[in-house]
Amino acid sequence: MAKEIVAMILAGGRGSRLYALTQKTAKPAVSFGGKYSIVDFPLSNCVNSNIDTVGIATQYQPQKLNEYIGNGQPWDLDRLYGGVHTLPPYEQAKGTDWYKGTANAIYQNIGFIEQYDPEYVIILSGDQICKQDYADFLNFHKEKNAEFSVAVMEVPWEDASRFGLMVADENDKITEFQEKPPVPKSNLASMGIYIFNWDILKKYLEEDEADPNSSNDFGNNVIPALLRDNRRMYAYHFSGYWRDVGTIDSLWSANMEVLDPENSGIDLFDENWKIYSRTPVMPCQKIGPQAVVQDSLITEGCKIYGTVKHSVLSAGVVVEAGAVVEDAVIMEGAVVKAGAVVKKSIIAQKVVVEAGAKVGGEGSVAHVGEGLTIGAGATVKEGAKVYESVKEGEEVC
Amino acid sequence: MLTVKQNNNALGIVFPNSYDNTVPELVTERLMASIPFAGRYRLIDFVLSSMANSGIDNVSVVVRKNYHSLMDHLGTGAAWDLARRHGGLNIVPPFAEKEVKIYNGRVDALNSILTFLEHQKEQYAILTDTNQVANIDYKAVIAEHVKSGADISVLYQNTEVPEGLKNNDNYTLVLEGTQVKEVLFNDFREGKQNLCMNVYVMERKTLIRLVKDATTRGMIYFERDILAHNVNVMDVRAIEYTGYVARICDMKSYFDENMKLIHEANLDALFPAKQPVYTKVRDDNPTRYLPGSKVNSSLVADGCHIEGTVQNCVLFRGVVVKKGAVVKNCVLMQDTVVEADAKVEYIVTDKNVRITAGKTLTGAESFPVYVAKNHTV
Repeated sequence: MAKEIVAMILAGGRGSRLYALTQKTAKPAVSFGGKYSIVDFPLSNCVNSNIDTVGIATQYQPQKLNEYIGNGQPWDLDRLYGGVHTLPPYEQAKGTDWYKGTANAIYQNIGFIEQYDPEYVIILSGDQICKQDYADFLNFHKEKNAEFSVAVMEVPWEDASRFGLMVADENDKITEFQEKPPVPKSNLASMGIYIFNWDILKKYLEEDEADPNSSNDFGNNVIPALLRDNRRMYAYHFSGYWRDVGTIDSLWSANMEVLDPENSGIDLFDENWKIYSRTPVMPCQKIGPQAVVQDSLITEGCKIYGTVKHSVLSAGVVVEAGAVVEDAVIMEGAVVKAGAVVKKSIIAQKVVVEAGAKVGGEGSVAHVGEGLTIGAGATVKEGAKVYESVKEGEEVC
Repeated sequence: MLTVKQNNNALGIVFPNSYDNTVPELVTERLMASIPFAGRYRLIDFVLSSMANSGIDNVSVVVRKNYHSLMDHLGTGAAWDLARRHGGLNIVPPFAEKEVKIYNGRVDALNSILTFLEHQKEQYAILTDTNQVANIDYKAVIAEHVKSGADISVLYQNTEVPEGLKNNDNYTLVLEGTQVKEVLFNDFREGKQNLCMNVYVMERKTLIRLVKDATTRGMIYFERDILAHNVNVMDVRAIEYTGYVARICDMKSYFDENMKLIHEANLDALFPAKQPVYTKVRDDNPTRYLPGSKVNSSLVADGCHIEGTVQNCVLFRGVVVKKGAVVKNCVLMQDTVVEADAKVEYIVTDKNVRITAGKTLTGAESFPVYVAKNHTV
């Protein structure tokens, strides 16, 4: 029994530009939008696009991600044949290796893909917030009789040189690929989402692996090799909401955009394209007698007695009386005690901001790593990256 | 003496239709067990979660009628970790013989699962209704039963007999120490009594023997026909339950018990972190508070969309309160919509109710107005 398409999510990266947030957690497991993890987006897109076989290549800090994915039940991916599987590197007869690059992460899982004998493989990224219909993408791939298709977004010309760019003709056929060029010939940025015919992908992965000089990366090695051989390559235009949330600023902005779906285009409230997640088991949110809650997303288990404005709170967050939370992202189980002020920050899971402490400001986004304590009366300045607990009354920049 | 070493040494039997008659409005299209409660739960969630948390993973729900909503809610039982290869959740509908038999009393219901009970392996059986919302450590209850050496243990609460149960199937216990000396039916006395919680523990074989015996004599009520008759010939002991209980026995108590949970002490008592309460997941997004919303002293589930004013309310999943709307002292069940500038106070809306723009609807604290499922006001 063969599957038409298998999805592979690249989720092994360390996410080092998320600094203290990814010390104990892989980037795809970082929480987003109050009750989601980043990986919920590609997973839910798969399910909503009728893709029921998904491999997640994990490497850095995989435990939380493994536990989160579990048997895949929240995404309806607990299937008799197919379903979701996490794929860490493993010891093989001919040797053991970490995933050396994006292409190598797929190469090492050729065996997993072959079990399903698919016609197509879609490669997804575990660090993007995007609602995309992969079925539409696959139709495009079939209509063009392509061997390789890549999803692209039009970006402003002045930003184009920050991206991997696809140069395509009027039929969307790709003629050239430029990786972050000083002089861009195109403004079609690759989203890092590819559909391959499986036979082509397998052939090129094997050739890439045999090349000792390759960095085993899709962008640097595999796509240039396909171009060199004049393969049938097409660019699929996507124009919906798409954000790479690989930095503190972009993660914070994307969370803020969720608060304004009418203008930002990221609608988490869409009944027809639900984002599924593993839900914590907690009672309803409690809003206290003196609480002020405006322009915010709040979820189960929260207890709000203070002021929360323009913020996104995950499950079980406590905001005590007199505390102020503004323009902030507060992750699961964090506590903001009486009189503390949190502004323009990302506060990771289980952080305790003690009474009267101040975190963040008006400028760049401050963030505090998982499980840390910000002592009473302490100050964490705007833009600070907090890796260690801050003692009472201390100031951190 | 036996000790319960493995906590899965008991099976659970749940009577989801018990006391349906006390809340006729709420059970027109459902039964007691599937009445929505506390913003995101159904009454049966508390019983099933307590059992799951106590290691009881063989649970039979003996339904009588109006059980479509319950079937939909329970599914495979996976939400309570009760989708199991052995045991798990077992929904027992009435068995159709020549004519469909709908059981009358508990004994009749138990008689319908007698063959099933005979084939189980668990040593003990625990029986319960669903109209009492509590987070009970059944493991401790069973341990106490085993320790006492009683034939039957009865859980009770020392409390006043609630209005809704006066003359409506209440049972109180006359005790000597922990020994049950007498079971009184429809106690009308004022003041605190030993109110039977209709939770019973006994050996599975004892239960089978009692049910067989009662059936041959044509008896159908467990409390009146078995318990009361046997207090002198069997060792029947009482176990006091001192935890938080919300008892649903009329519309007023339904309203009051929801409202009580707005107070954090009550909420924490019913939802201790170590004894989570599971329910069917609806995949709602977080609740969105729009600019200009004013929400105070309320319990709010996920999936709500609030632009107006909400004070002292319990909002279930997916409730919408539009701009200018004012909602005070209300219990709004799932997907209720209060349109712009509507004003409602002391009302209970069932699922999918719509209060149209600019309308005013007011009940009283002593008499909350109930709006039935799918109605538009």
